[in-house]
Amino acid sequence: MLDAYIGVLVLWPLVAGLACLVLKSPGVRSALVLSTGAALAVGALGVASQVPMTANPGFLSSQTALYIAEGAAFALPIYFLIRGLMEKHVLVIVFAIAQLGLAAMSVFGLAAPAAAKSAVYCDGLSLALVLVVSLVGSLICIFALPYMKHHEEHLHLKVTRQPGFFLILLAFLGFMNGLALSNDLRVFAAFYEATTLCSFLLIGHDKTEESKKSAFRALWMNCMGGVFLHGGIVLIQKQFGMADIHELMNPTLWAGASMLPIALLALAGCVKAAQMPFQSWLLGAMVAPTPVSALLHSSTMVKVGVFVCLRLGPVLESTTTGRVLALVGAFTFFATSALALGQSNAKKILAYSTIANLGLIIACAGIGTPIALAAGVVLLAIHAVTKGLLFLCVGDMEQTVGSRDLEDLRGLISKSPVTALAASAGAMAMILPPLGMLVGKWAALEAAAASPIAMVLIALGSALGVVCWVRFAGTLMSGQSIEAKTTHTSALTSTPILAMLAGAVGLGMAAPWFNALLLPASNIATALAGGWGLLPGLFIVAMLAWIIGMKVLGRQSAATLATPYIGGLPSVLKGTYVGPLGRNWTLTEGNEYASEIFGESKLTKFAGALAGALLLALVGGAII
Amino acid sequence: MNLTTFYLAVAGLILAPLVGGLVAGVDRVLTARMQSRMGPPLLQPFYDVGKLWSKVIAPASHWQGLFVRWALVASLASDVLLAAGADVLMCFFVQAASASFVALGAFCGSSPYSKLGAQRELFQLLAYEPVFLVAILCMAKVSGGFDAYSFMASDQPLLYKMPLIVPGLLFVVLVKLRKSPFDISGSHHMHQEVVRGVYTDYAGRDFALLEIAHWADVTVVLWICSFLWATSPLAMVVTAFLFLFAALVIDNISARLTWRHMLKVVAPISLVLATANLLWLYME
Repeated sequence: MLDAYIGVLVLWPLVAGLACLVLKSPGVRSALVLSTGAALAVGALGVASQVPMTANPGFLSSQTALYIAEGAAFALPIYFLIRGLMEKHVLVIVFAIAQLGLAAMSVFGLAAPAAAKSAVYCDGLSLALVLVVSLVGSLICIFALPYMKHHEEHLHLKVTRQPGFFLILLAFLGFMNGLALSNDLRVFAAFYEATTLCSFLLIGHDKTEESKKSAFRALWMNCMGGVFLHGGIVLIQKQFGMADIHELMNPTLWAGASMLPIALLALAGCVKAAQMPFQSWLLGAMVAPTPVSALLHSSTMVKVGVFVCLRLGPVLESTTTGRVLALVGAFTFFATSALALGQSNAKKILAYSTIANLGLIIACAGIGTPIALAAGVVLLAIHAVTKGLLFLCVGDMEQTVGSRDLEDLRGLISKSPVTALAASAGAMAMILPPLGMLVGKWAALEAAAASPIAMVLIALGSALGVVCWVRFAGTLMSGQSIEAKTTHTSALTSTPILAMLAGAVGLGMAAPWFNALLLPASNIATALAGGWGLLPGLFIVAMLAWIIGMKVLGRQSAATLATPYIGGLPSVLKGTYVGPLGRNWTLTEGNEYASEIFGESKLTKFAGALAGALLLALVGGAII
Repeated sequence: MNLTTFYLAVAGLILAPLVGGLVAGVDRVLTARMQSRMGPPLLQPFYDVGKLWSKVIAPASHWQGLFVRWALVASLASDVLLAAGADVLMCFFVQAASASFVALGAFCGSSPYSKLGAQRELFQLLAYEPVFLVAILCMAKVSGGFDAYSFMASDQPLLYKMPLIVPGLLFVVLVKLRKSPFDISGSHHMHQEVVRGVYTDYAGRDFALLEIAHWADVTVVLWICSFLWATSPLAMVVTAFLFLFAALVIDNISARLTWRHMLKVVAPISLVLATANLLWLYME
């Protein structure tokens, strides 16, 4: 039964995607995507019921599977190389060749590593990723159905390109599940490269000049990440002759050994998670249609990076490499939170905030204690749902308003109340106690007790995040004097949004129990008594506040509103007033972005240089 | 949860806003004396709230009542957490949530002054939150735990080990009392720029509740400051009063501090000092 669940999780999306490609009718496509969502949900819950577990499904454990994985280690870089040569993109060529060299060295130059004891190993971390991919990823794919229809209408395409698009979108989910579950380093690396391929194709989907540029930027950076990953794997192969991930993540194995492979793997994770100074590929990914950016940002691509780092966590605990990695993550959390604050482009705010939260998770991984790792996994899952929600909302707003600038979205609540309220709730779920994101941040802060600088950086980033999200929600809910017409939202759009909202709040509230499940038995007592144990009480308070608030809202929503106070005499013309000098003044509003402090141009260079130095220290420290 | 904790929590719920109201009264009397005025009676803040409560005024937004209640609940919850000896870091986050709700309610209003006030309120939040957090982290490092009881357990005043966080905490008190900077604060002084900043659009009963939430906030902030000298209850009260008094003096001599100055100069300096103190604790 278990093998069947795993098969559904990894293979079904691939098959359904191929079916989308062959059967081009939109009705069939919708049915396929919806059924994939259902199948993945069943598969994920099936696996969840058995965790922790090991399994040996034939399609992942047989010799053929290993040959395919080794073949992929050559085939994918060769494809990247060809694309690089066609585009004359030097960086892609260089890194693809380096990957080929490493793959050749691994297969021909070194003795084959001992096969993994079991092809699949699933613990809390793997399960969290599988659940995120299967549930959040599927919802995003469903959202993509109406979105892509609009999108292609907007682009006036003659021949629809949706079959290919949905093939990659669905296959992506399968690869992600495979990556989360596989326990053999070679199979893992093959899935890792496959996600690079998917993101490259998806970002470049629109085939505009800009999207091509972004796709190639994503490709070269992730190829470089691939080089780090393969470098780490080759070193491990040489050092230990093992490929069993679960057995390799045993701290005693690494006592006295060089940490360089671990540092390289962590570096590969940082690239994939778009940590500074590699953030530009994820920012560039915004040119793709919204479902793609939602998928890349919330549930797939970047989660691979933090997954790798969290997987390394036990080995990193109280090592220099771990401490530097914690610093890298905390610094990115701080710097990108500051960058998010200076943005008025809603998608960029989301992108920077994604990078920031990934940084926080990587900081947890670097700290590496069981409590920190559990907090990291909780953050991973809750961030996926919350950010998925926010991306879908912004995508919908963009199609409603025709702009993704926060200033144009001002007062959206009167135009498109469902989306605006869902987005505001999502923004609040990022920062409010007792919901999961804040609690994760809090646990990370308390777990970081060994590295004061990381704590200060997290404190700073946390304050920046609060300002950014309150302003975001406040702008959407901003009161307006002019009555706007409400627009209708399609059910295929609003259902994923509302499901995601329910998930974000529900999972946010379930965080303490989720966290308790992830902790080893010896840590539960102390962690729950000291902090997480407070939360049930806070939930009761929050519920009480909710009830009181809703009652007042019900009473007040019937009230006649006061005329706006504008420090002058309201004039007959809406939005104007008679003010100083007896003149007629027009009212304008705008947010303060303090761009002289948080502007992108200066801050990116400065913070990028610092983050680069930290990453050098990460690898350099491991060599010495 | 044992019974004592429960009694303490209830006491915190009831007494904290009252103490905050008294602090507001003391503030107004002392400020008046510093400016050679008579000033209102000590209980004036309570009379004000009573009067506000009796007024029914059309709201500026349908959402404000909701956010006011949420802010009040969050503020009171942070007091209860402290009183019950719970995790101070979580108490801080709950208190910050209250500030977020106040800003959100102001965003929902219709007056541009209210929205401008909310923007600046947020930048003000940005300026004091990190310093406040680092101060709490310092206290936790010295006392070896994050709960209020361990903060109060040490025999020696925490201040001896963390003199550099005093400017930071003072800055927090100054902002939280809504004293400075003048272009945001919602204080009773004449020296403000944007009418009453974030409070512009709140009126009547909602505003009365918001005032009570503010009192609860002030109590939390002064309470956390008083951990610096927590050898006896009296010492804590005296410490809190000294912080209050120092904040009043600073407010009266720096009436023209702007929010940009605060964000660019005051916040970084106090944060650097607090961080230095934290690092120093680790080197010991």
